[in-house]
Amino acid sequence: MGLDANSKAGTIGAINQKISETVPNLTGKVHLLPCCIKYDGPSAVSHYFKPKPTGLEMEGMKVEEACFRGRKLQGARLPIPNGYSGFVIRKQSPGKRKASDMSEDNTWEVAAKFENITYWNHDSLPSKDDAFVRSLHLLSVAEALHKPVTAEDLASASIDMEKN
Amino acid sequence: MESKSTLPDWASKPCIMGIDEAGRGPVLGPMVYGCLYCARSYEKTLSTLNFADSKTLKEEKRENLFENLKANELLGWAVDVIDPRELSAKMLKKIKINLNEISHDSASGLVTRVLNMGVFLTEVYVDTVGDPEKYRIKLSERFPSIKFVVAKKADSLYPVVSGASIVAKVTRDRALRDWVLDETAENMTRNFGSGYPGDPETKAWLQQHQHSVFGFPTLVRFSWGTCTAYSKNMVEVVWESDKTEEDGSSSSSGKRQLKLSSFGVTTSKRKNEEEIESSGKSRCKFFQARKLEHLANF
Repeated sequence: MGLDANSKAGTIGAINQKISETVPNLTGKVHLLPCCIKYDGPSAVSHYFKPKPTGLEMEGMKVEEACFRGRKLQGARLPIPNGYSGFVIRKQSPGKRKASDMSEDNTWEVAAKFENITYWNHDSLPSKDDAFVRSLHLLSVAEALHKPVTAEDLASASIDMEKN
Repeated sequence: MESKSTLPDWASKPCIMGIDEAGRGPVLGPMVYGCLYCARSYEKTLSTLNFADSKTLKEEKRENLFENLKANELLGWAVDVIDPRELSAKMLKKIKINLNEISHDSASGLVTRVLNMGVFLTEVYVDTVGDPEKYRIKLSERFPSIKFVVAKKADSLYPVVSGASIVAKVTRDRALRDWVLDETAENMTRNFGSGYPGDPETKAWLQQHQHSVFGFPTLVRFSWGTCTAYSKNMVEVVWESDKTEEDGSSSSSGKRQLKLSSFGVTTSKRKNEEEIESSGKSRCKFFQARKLEHLANF
């Protein structure tokens, strides 16, 4: 896979974090399906996609059931981890900016927010081993790696070193 | 399921049972397995009850016969209604279950249910699905105490199977007539027709109720070939589970793959790529195991 200069460096983008009070709250309505639907746009989701509770509990997750395109899906609703929030972002409409800025325009704005996400498996019960659940581990790893080291941390670390 | 709850005296004498299905061919609605049983000594009287292959009878006649057999205390019956959602789901599982298997399981389920009620079944007549001899062996292995007769057109050969076909057919027709659609979109009708792919009313209903993203209401059996004709009007959907099968790798849940663009991060470049998973390739194990990819462009 060849990377051009741009992708090596990554794209520079900005997310406008201003959230207006009218931003829709999609909590309970965000679904991650085990498939790629090759369509972007509005759809009558709530009229067709009807998750139902199963009464089953797997590793502390309440299992829901739904179907999509004839396949049976089993899923669970996960809260967005503490300290994080879920946002749907979209490119800020170019109309708001001057034409001269267009070339570098990569500004995104918040279109909606959500506090949980329901992820779905095809044919298997949700489990803590699912890649999506595990991908959230990154957040605690990132926190441990990046949080500032306090004097106490250093002191306890050096005591540990001496013990060994 | 509906069936007689108190066990009549005759049930402890040697009994015969017929099993037949309705709604195997239709592209929509449930598939129903029905059975009818009675004492072997009642077999002769049975042939005087005018049961015939349910397909050769008019609907009204079938309804009458069903009401008569329900009222007849010397007959017992039971049904297994297999929801179209279940049919679609099983036939589209990662490891697909074909319709014959579903049919065999349903018939076996009825035998089990009637045996568990305490009925002394000695002979069971079954309209065949697939090869009769293989099917007979399969049933005989599961229920060694019963003699099975598996035949083509059993519903017109044996009155007890004809009776079962009426039980199944009437149940299927009623289920479809009273069907409440899951979907709540506007302009939905219940003019399904018979559900057979060739029925003009069914065709018109499918045409009207297709949806570019969701396909069809869940009444429809998505696994039917009939549905493929409509797929050109529908948005393509690529399943992670199909992808893993093609790769020949394990389909265990631990290896499910995740696409970052399913979070809504899609660019025109990514969309065109056929890859649907994030590989986490060439990153440390932590990322690989979690299918986390570094996304530099969005």
